[in-house]
Amino acid sequence: MSIQNLNTFDPFADAIKGADDDVQDGLVHIRIQQRNGRKTLTTVQGLSAEYDLKKIVRACKKEFACNGTVIEHPEYGEVLQLQGDQRENICQWLTKSGLAKPEQLKVHGF
Amino acid sequence: MTEEEAIFDPLMKKKRKKKKTAFDIDAALAEGGTEANENSESVGAGDKENQEPVKTENEKNEKNESKDVDMDDTNFDFENCSKKKKKKKKPFNMEDLDGALPDMGSKSKDEGSAEAEAAQDEGVVDDNFDLDMDFSKTKKKKKKKKDVDELLAESEANKAEDKDNVFALFALTCCTEVEKFPEPVEDSVTAWASEDRDYTYDELLTRVFEIMRDKNPDMVAGKKQKFVMRPPQVVRIGTKKTSFANFTEICKTLHRQPKHLLDFLLAELGTSGSVDGNNQLIIKGRFQQKQIENVLRRYIKEYVTCHTCRSPDTILQKDTRLFFLQCEMCGSRCSVASIKSGFQAVTGKRAAIRAKTA
Repeated sequence: MSIQNLNTFDPFADAIKGADDDVQDGLVHIRIQQRNGRKTLTTVQGLSAEYDLKKIVRACKKEFACNGTVIEHPEYGEVLQLQGDQRENICQWLTKSGLAKPEQLKVHGF
Repeated sequence: MTEEEAIFDPLMKKKRKKKKTAFDIDAALAEGGTEANENSESVGAGDKENQEPVKTENEKNEKNESKDVDMDDTNFDFENCSKKKKKKKKPFNMEDLDGALPDMGSKSKDEGSAEAEAAQDEGVVDDNFDLDMDFSKTKKKKKKKKDVDELLAESEANKAEDKDNVFALFALTCCTEVEKFPEPVEDSVTAWASEDRDYTYDELLTRVFEIMRDKNPDMVAGKKQKFVMRPPQVVRIGTKKTSFANFTEICKTLHRQPKHLLDFLLAELGTSGSVDGNNQLIIKGRFQQKQIENVLRRYIKEYVTCHTCRSPDTILQKDTRLFFLQCEMCGSRCSVASIKSGFQAVTGKRAAIRAKTA
């Protein structure tokens, strides 16, 4: 058994690490809304403002073969809006492209 | 897990202790014979040189025993009958003995398997030695003998059985007590205990858990505590609305305000809805039961079960605009995420909205 007291422990390790990836604030909310009939709408809220959302939405539209737009919201900032249920797709795509970490993504809806 | 272990450890010790005491009684009764045997066992892991004097002693004992055995041949048959039973039991007992002396067991086993091969080469005399040294091996030997050349090896078997008799005779005297311990558990759980091999970790682990469950059935930690709830009754009303019929009932079982659950459901589903006169929730949009179940599950995970101990026995309090989840079981208190519907895209007709606002 090793003596745990003698192990070096950096009390600021968490603080240093927490500075660059703040999971709680940087949550990306992915929601779904029902439209008329079988149609749905996927919204992605909380992507960092550093990214050019227009370019992202262009890439998404091409990737998922759907239409989409960027909506400017006074409270939530720029919100990505895609046609159809793209929750799975957008999750995979965001993690694959490194725009968001898997633990940052929060999927809402049924 | 840690909790379980904390609960179980003493039990385990108890079990082992019980068995030990049983053996101690044996030993006390056995005096000469078994003591020597136990010595040999305890030395089993050690050098062979050390063992040899013990063996000679054992052999002496054997001879004495064999005389005894000759005297009660009738007894013997009976023992043979009982031995078959015991064979099943023995590995179990052995295991426990080994378990009581943890590093001993593995070592002796290893040696046993290694020596078994050597012994086969060297022959009968060594056989006897081996028998002395390791009980688990005696079984192996005996089984082989009995299977292959029972008639030829009868004399040998006798000797072997002498060995066992050193054990068995005394075991018989108090075998009733001894057997009582393993029996109920063994029958239900360990069909493999009779097999002559090294038991896998998984088997032993499941056995331990079975024993623990047998011994205290009222224990909750052993099995996953299930939170049983009625499934939500979801019915479509027309084409555009969905009714959640037992909404208030579910709120009651969860001990949550209907308003809180309503807020969560509507925020998650991104729709609007209300509770009607029959205490059922009418949600705008088409939803299936499994979809609602999904959302309910998420609600329970976030707002009902304790984040520390996962007990559903919690209270949700509002304190300075924040919701706090207080656990009744472990007393932990933590804040939970506030319900926010977030961004809602415009899905209805814009003209209608404009008409409303204007």
